[in-house]
Amino acid sequence: ELSPSHFPATRAAAAALGYLRYLRGGPGRGLELRELRRARRQDIDDVGHKYYLELELEDVLDKDRTVNCTAEVLYHLGSKTSAPDVQVTVQGELRSTEEADKEFYNRIRSLEKELVAENIPDSHGNVPPELEPIHLLAWVASGYVIWQNSTENTKFHLAQVKHVKQVKRSDEDLQFDFVVLLHEMVSQEVLPWEVTLLWHPQRGAQVSQ
Amino acid sequence: MDVLVEDHPNLVSKIQIGQSYENRPLYVLKFSTGGLNRPAIWLDTGIHSREWITQATGVWTANKIAKEYGQDLSVTAILDSMDIFLEIVTNPDGFAFTHSSNRLWRKTRSINAGSRCVGVDPNRNWDAGFGDAGASSSSCSETYHGPYPNSEPEVKSIVDFVKSHGNIKAFVSIHSYSQLLLYPYGYTYTAVPDQQELHELSAKAVAALSSLYGTQYKYGSIITTIYRASGSTVDWTYNQGIKYSFTFELRDTGRYGFLLPAQQIVPTAEETWLALKVIIEHTRDNLY
Repeated sequence: ELSPSHFPATRAAAAALGYLRYLRGGPGRGLELRELRRARRQDIDDVGHKYYLELELEDVLDKDRTVNCTAEVLYHLGSKTSAPDVQVTVQGELRSTEEADKEFYNRIRSLEKELVAENIPDSHGNVPPELEPIHLLAWVASGYVIWQNSTENTKFHLAQVKHVKQVKRSDEDLQFDFVVLLHEMVSQEVLPWEVTLLWHPQRGAQVSQ
Repeated sequence: MDVLVEDHPNLVSKIQIGQSYENRPLYVLKFSTGGLNRPAIWLDTGIHSREWITQATGVWTANKIAKEYGQDLSVTAILDSMDIFLEIVTNPDGFAFTHSSNRLWRKTRSINAGSRCVGVDPNRNWDAGFGDAGASSSSCSETYHGPYPNSEPEVKSIVDFVKSHGNIKAFVSIHSYSQLLLYPYGYTYTAVPDQQELHELSAKAVAALSSLYGTQYKYGSIITTIYRASGSTVDWTYNQGIKYSFTFELRDTGRYGFLLPAQQIVPTAEETWLALKVIIEHTRDNLY
C-alpha cells in the first residue's frame, strides 16, 4: 500500500493520466486528475513494478462532476526504452462530445488557410476560446508522449504548446503537427517534443510517428 | 514597494540585502512596529523565476500585511511582537529573462566558466547536503547546484542576512506548482527531530488553506513527497536552527502549471495567506 501523498504513487498516476488523455481525450474533452484516492505497488520478480491506482477524474469542460477510474501501470524491469503498460477502467459515463466534435471538425475542415498558432497558453495563462479545442488536442498528443516516456523516476506535465500547424490531408482525418513543451518534475527540465496527431470525430486520435 | 513604504512609513521599510549577478538590487520589505531585532518571520517568493504565481502572491501578501495591521487582531498581535521580512523578487535576473526571452527560465543568470550554459538552480545552491544526490553537477541542467555553496549572490545575500540577523524563527520559501506544503529534509531520508510538530503544523496550515476555496494540498517532507533535492533553502535554514522552515508549492497541479491564469492570483494569495497565518501564529506562540 502506498501513500497517495508520496511521489511513487503520484508519478504512476501521471503516467496513467497521459495514457487516459490519449485514449479518451478530444477537442471537446480534457481529463484532469481531481484526486488520487488509493495506490498499491506490487513487485513482480523478473517482470517489474506494477502500480494499482484508484483515481478520481474530472473533465475540465464538465467540472461539476467527477468520474472514478482504476488504473494499472506496469513499469518493466530494467527497461529504459519501453513504455509502461497501462490499463484503465473508467467507471460510469464520460459526458458525450459528439456535438462539439462534429462542430469542431466542420469548422477546421472549412478553414481556407491551414490553422497555425503558438504559445498556448500564453505567458499569462490565457487561451483564446477558439483555440481551446486545439489546446485539448495537444493534451491528447502530449498524453501519448508522456505515457510512452514515463518511468518511476519521471513525472511529466504539458507546460505549453509552443507551436501547432494544421496539415490538410486528402483523407478525412485532421492532422496537427505540434511542438509541445513537456515539464519533467524530477529533473525540472522543459523538453520540446514534436508530435503529429491525426484526429477524426468517429475514429478518435492517433499519434503518427 | 516604494509606494507601500510611502503609504505605511511606520510599518514598512525597504532594505537592500545585496545585488544579483547582473547587478540588480535585491530588495527585502521589512514589516516592523519597532523593538530591537525582534524574533522574525522570513518569506520569499520568486526564487525560481518561471513560477510567476509566487511573485504575484508576494505582492498581494505585502499589501495584505500592511493593510491588516491595526485592522485584524491576529496580524496586529503578530506585528506587535515580531517582524516580518518579505523578499518578493528573489531572482530578479531570472525574472527579467522570463519577460524578455524565455518564459520557462528557472535558474539564475550567472555565467558558468567553461560552459555555454547559463545559470545555477538557486534552490540547490545552499550549504545543506550540497552536491549530494538530488542536484546536478552539469551546468546545463535545471538543477545545477553551482560550483560551490552560496556561489550565487542571490543565495549568499540571504545567507548573510539570516546569519547576521540571528533571530529568525520561521522561514518560508514559496514556489509553484504542485499544491504541496513541504518541510525538511530533501537531501536525506533521515527525519528531522521536529518531524512530528512540523507534520502536525502542516496539517493545520493546509486545512486552513483548503477552507477558503476547497483547494487540495498534500504535505510531508521534501524527500518523501516530491523528490530528493540537495542544497535546498529550507534544509539549510533548518540546520541553522530555524525550526519552522517550510516550502510551499502553490497552484495548480499541472493543468496550467507555471502558466497560471491571472484570475487565479488573488484566490491563490488569499488561501495561501490563511496557511501562512497558521504557521506565523504557531511560531509566535511557540518561540524558542
